[in-house]
Amino acid sequence: MNPDLSALKPFLLFDGIWMKTEAKIPSPVRLNFSKDELIIKEGDYGIAVYEIISGKVGVYIDSGGTEVMVATLNPGMIIGEMTFLAGNTNPRSATVRAIEDCSLESWHPRMLASDYKQIPRALRHIVDRSLKRLVRMNKKISGISLQQRKVEENQARKSGGPSTERRSSYRKECNIGCAYRPKNSPKEVQLLGRVRDISKNGLQMVVKTSNSLKYSHVPGDEFLIITNLTPGQEVKMTAKIVNLRKGPTPASTIMGMSFLHMTHEDQKRLGFFLLR
Amino acid sequence: MTIDSAIMDYVVSEENFPDKAFVFKEGGSGDWIYVILEGRVKIKKQTSKGLLTIEALGEGDFIGEIALFKEGKVSRFTSAIADGPVLVGTLDTEQLTRDWEKQSPRIKKLISSLMLNLEDAIQKMVSVVETSK
Repeated sequence: MNPDLSALKPFLLFDGIWMKTEAKIPSPVRLNFSKDELIIKEGDYGIAVYEIISGKVGVYIDSGGTEVMVATLNPGMIIGEMTFLAGNTNPRSATVRAIEDCSLESWHPRMLASDYKQIPRALRHIVDRSLKRLVRMNKKISGISLQQRKVEENQARKSGGPSTERRSSYRKECNIGCAYRPKNSPKEVQLLGRVRDISKNGLQMVVKTSNSLKYSHVPGDEFLIITNLTPGQEVKMTAKIVNLRKGPTPASTIMGMSFLHMTHEDQKRLGFFLLR
Repeated sequence: MTIDSAIMDYVVSEENFPDKAFVFKEGGSGDWIYVILEGRVKIKKQTSKGLLTIEALGEGDFIGEIALFKEGKVSRFTSAIADGPVLVGTLDTEQLTRDWEKQSPRIKKLISSLMLNLEDAIQKMVSVVETSK
C-alpha cells in the first residue's frame, strides 16, 4: 500500500533524508559503497537517481520470496531512473547492491526536473509509454520465472527419491568442485564453483559473486563446465544460466543452469552418477 | 481512444496493414517510429523455439521507438506484426531526432538507460521462455 505522503509536504525524501523543498537545488554528491553494500532496496521510497562512476552493481528483483539477479550495471549506467520518470510516486522497483567497491554520483531529482519539464510533449509520451511497457514486461518475466520454478519443484517432487521409477531424472544433491568459463572466452580463462545439485537436465552451482566482475553472469549467458562427478572421470557440458539468487554467504551467488550440450559419453557418466 | 494532439502533430503519413502483415521485420533496417492509431500490433522475436510473442500493443502505443535513443544506425530488434487490421501513423523521425539532440546530457542518459532496460527486458523474456520446459 502506498503511504500518504501529503503531510510531508513541503519536504522530499532523498533516499532516507527528508529535505525542505524550498532549499537550493543540491549539487551532485559522490557516494562510495563497499562491496555487497545495499544501495537501493526494492519497495522503499527514495527519489535519488545515481550514475555509476566506477565499479559494478547488481540489480535484483523479488520473485515469490526469492531474490533474482536481473542485471549487472557498469560505469556510465544509471540507477533509479524508473522512479524519477514515474513521477517519484512509486516505490523502488528493484534492489541494487554493490558487487564490488563502487563510486556513484547521486543526482537530486530537482536537478533533473526542470530539464525534464522542457521535453517536448511528444517525446514525453514516448518515454511514458516505454516506461509502462518496461513495468509490464518485468512483471511478466517475474511471473514466468516464478511459474517455471514451481514447475521444476513439482517435477523434482514427483521424481522423488531413488526408489521411484523416474529415478534417473531426480535432482541429486552433491558438493563437487568444478571449473567453468564463458562459452566464447579463451581456454586459459578458468573460474571456479561448486556444484550443489545436478539432474539430467541441469545443475545448481555456487560461485563467488566476484566472478561476475570480469565476465557477465546473467540469465541467458552460456558457460562451458568441467567437473569430476566421480574421481578421475571428467565430465564436460555447456549450460545456460536460467536464474540467479543469493548464495549461502553474502559474497556468493547460486546459479540455476540448464544443460545445452553434453557428449553421449558424458551423458552416460552423468546417468551413472545420478543412479548411484 | 483519442491520440494526443502533440503526437498527431508529428504524424507525417498514415498506413493500413492487413492482419498478420509485418509493419517491420526483426533484423531489417529502418528507423521509422510509428504510433498505433487503430487496432493492435504484436511484438515478436525469433527464438530457438520459433517466433515468440513478447507483447501486444494497442492504440497510442509506439513501435520502433528504441532506435531513436540509440547512437548510429541500428537494425530492428524485434518484428512488429498486425494483429487484425491496423492503422499506424509514421512519425516525423527527423524532428524527433532534433528534439532529442537538444536535451541535456543527464536527461539523455536517463532516457537512454530506460530504453536499454526495455531492450534487456525483451531479451530476458526470450531467454526465460527458451529455457522453460
